[in-house]
Amino acid sequence: MEYQEYQLRETAAKLLEEEKANVVIGYGLSKTGKVVPVFITRPEDAQKLVWNSECHQNLVVFLTRPEVKRLGKPAIVVKPCDARAIVVLANESQIMRHEVYVIGMVCEGVNEDQGRPSSRCAICYGHYPQNVDQVIGEAEDAPKDLSKEERRKTGKYQRIEEIKALPPDERLAYWKREFSRCVRCYACRQSCPLCYCNRCVADKNRPARIPTSASLQGNFAWNILRAFHLAGRCVSCGACSAACPAGIDLNLINLTLANAAEEQFDHLSGTKVGALPLIGTFSESDKEDFIR
Amino acid sequence: MSRIISLDDLRQIAADFIRAGGLAVAPVPFDNDRVFFQYIDEEGAGKIVLSGWLKAANTIKDFFFPRHEKLFSYERIHNDVVLADAPEFGKPQLLFGCRPCEAASLPILDKVFGWDYQDRFYQSRRRMTTVVTVACHKSDDDCFCSSVGGSPENTEGSDAILYNLADGTFEVRPVTERGEQLFEGKTSESTKTGKACPPPPVRFDASKCKTWMDGHFDSPFWNEHALRCVGCGACTYLCPTCHCFDIVDEGSYAKGNRVKNWDFCQSALFTLHASGHNPRPDQGARQRQRLMHKFSIYPDKFGKILCTGCGNCTRHCPTVLGVKPFLEAIEEQED
Ligand code: SF4
Ligand code: SF4
Ligand code: SF4
Ligand code: SF4
Repeated sequence: MEYQEYQLRETAAKLLEEEKANVVIGYGLSKTGKVVPVFITRPEDAQKLVWNSECHQNLVVFLTRPEVKRLGKPAIVVKPCDARAIVVLANESQIMRHEVYVIGMVCEGVNEDQGRPSSRCAICYGHYPQNVDQVIGEAEDAPKDLSKEERRKTGKYQRIEEIKALPPDERLAYWKREFSRCVRCYACRQSCPLCYCNRCVADKNRPARIPTSASLQGNFAWNILRAFHLAGRCVSCGACSAACPAGIDLNLINLTLANAAEEQFDHLSGTKVGALPLIGTFSESDKEDFIR
Repeated sequence: MSRIISLDDLRQIAADFIRAGGLAVAPVPFDNDRVFFQYIDEEGAGKIVLSGWLKAANTIKDFFFPRHEKLFSYERIHNDVVLADAPEFGKPQLLFGCRPCEAASLPILDKVFGWDYQDRFYQSRRRMTTVVTVACHKSDDDCFCSSVGGSPENTEGSDAILYNLADGTFEVRPVTERGEQLFEGKTSESTKTGKACPPPPVRFDASKCKTWMDGHFDSPFWNEHALRCVGCGACTYLCPTCHCFDIVDEGSYAKGNRVKNWDFCQSALFTLHASGHNPRPDQGARQRQRLMHKFSIYPDKFGKILCTGCGNCTRHCPTVLGVKPFLEAIEEQED
């Protein structure tokens, strides 16, 4: 990891010097020593970049923020799971892929939530970054990837199976307990690289499409709506769960839908450049005949 | 001599309060090691935890100025619209176990909700609530009460303050008549006295920061330092002093409710005009607003800072921002 950090700083300084990028979006340290997003615009500041196990945030969310766009051509530091979000953004025409220089880090897993290993890493879809412009790190240093079958038996997938196995009323009680804590701060949405709409349907209040209230009804509507808007799109980076101040594990819902997309349609979001959006495409070979 | 009470007896006070027909709010653990302020029932009183955590994952303001509150209902009957006011909050409420930096938000909110317009929704809850605070036993990197006039044993807004004696008992120091009444006959005499943790270091000079902000409205500083902000509501919704709300109608043409919901200034939509013009067009302008409201505008109007230094806005921010990093950076500005 230390050598990766050194290489990252060298790379960033060079990109800025050669003007291949005007800003490097990466991780740095806050005054209190916490890992935070930084925006490096001068080669000499590349030394401020860090790479360690606390780099859990998905920085891809900044690629579509207007204040960041103003800084010019970006280079961005991504983990393999984050890199998938870049593929989706390009597939959905939100970025011009060739206008972003993507630095992919070989990833050994990160911590989040008070320094505990992130639960998403236990079911990592691949520790070696794909579809990036440059890889930093060695493939042999990456932990071994799980097979699809192994993944299904691990961590969050297990938890999903447990929840699915509950009788309907208990399942409902579980989600009531979770969603009742939602304050509608939208930290989940704002931290999600794929929730890029300028005006979210949840913000429409004249007339309101879904209740804007943080009531149980409103919260169910909001969280389920968000999950459906991410069905077949979510790359399971876990940014929403990590951001939620109420500690609601939103990843469980999104992963359930991602799982369905993978099982039913062999669609794993962000792994195929040029893939058409799952929900937005029509295929005559669809299993369901209502579509024909 | 001091007055002490056991944790079990404290829990009993909450249980008795509920049995007598009141509502009790107290910190209760949830999964993920998070503690939440929640309405509890008699049985739940046994789950109250008053130590082992620094800050809850929600704020006490939810029990004075709820995130969602009905103002009135409407119904169209023939050609008439019938309105029915929401009933007044009528139950005594006991708020147990908050921190001094949370209780201190109440006198601050009192000013906003009782200034030109008397907000009966807030005021009735406030009137009905007894606040019992626990002095802090530790502070973290995000705490800065001492930079805004508070302290780990500040009693502003509290009816009584407890000190953890770390042996299953607490020292009780009533602050108001109401606090005195709550503990009357429930404590025993002791020679032990409690102590709060030392105040966190002073991190900035608030009046110097105010002067700088007032003179640097158009500075590029704001956008530079706001870059990592994603524009969510975590800082404002976890802030005990933020108090903005939106009023919306929920329901159909035939019937529904007019409700008051929390709103947050860090959203681009907060100030978006119908014309499409936005007077706060970028995150720098939105962060400047939050900072200036707290450290300049409100102080000019009410003579107090609109911030208790609880640090929640940094602690709960997905990118560890909130007000403190801004103020520390302002402190370092040269001109
Ligand atoms: S899921 Fe995989 S790529 Fe993503 S942070 Fe965890 S280990 Fe790294
Ligand atoms: S981050 Fe959590 S509390 Fe905030 S809106 Fe999303 S689910 Fe609700
Ligand atoms: S400062 Fe943090 S919590 Fe506040 S709006 Fe910005 S990202 Fe959200
Ligand atoms: S601005 Fe931040 S530190 Fe100040 S009272 Fe609000 S949440 Fe606490």
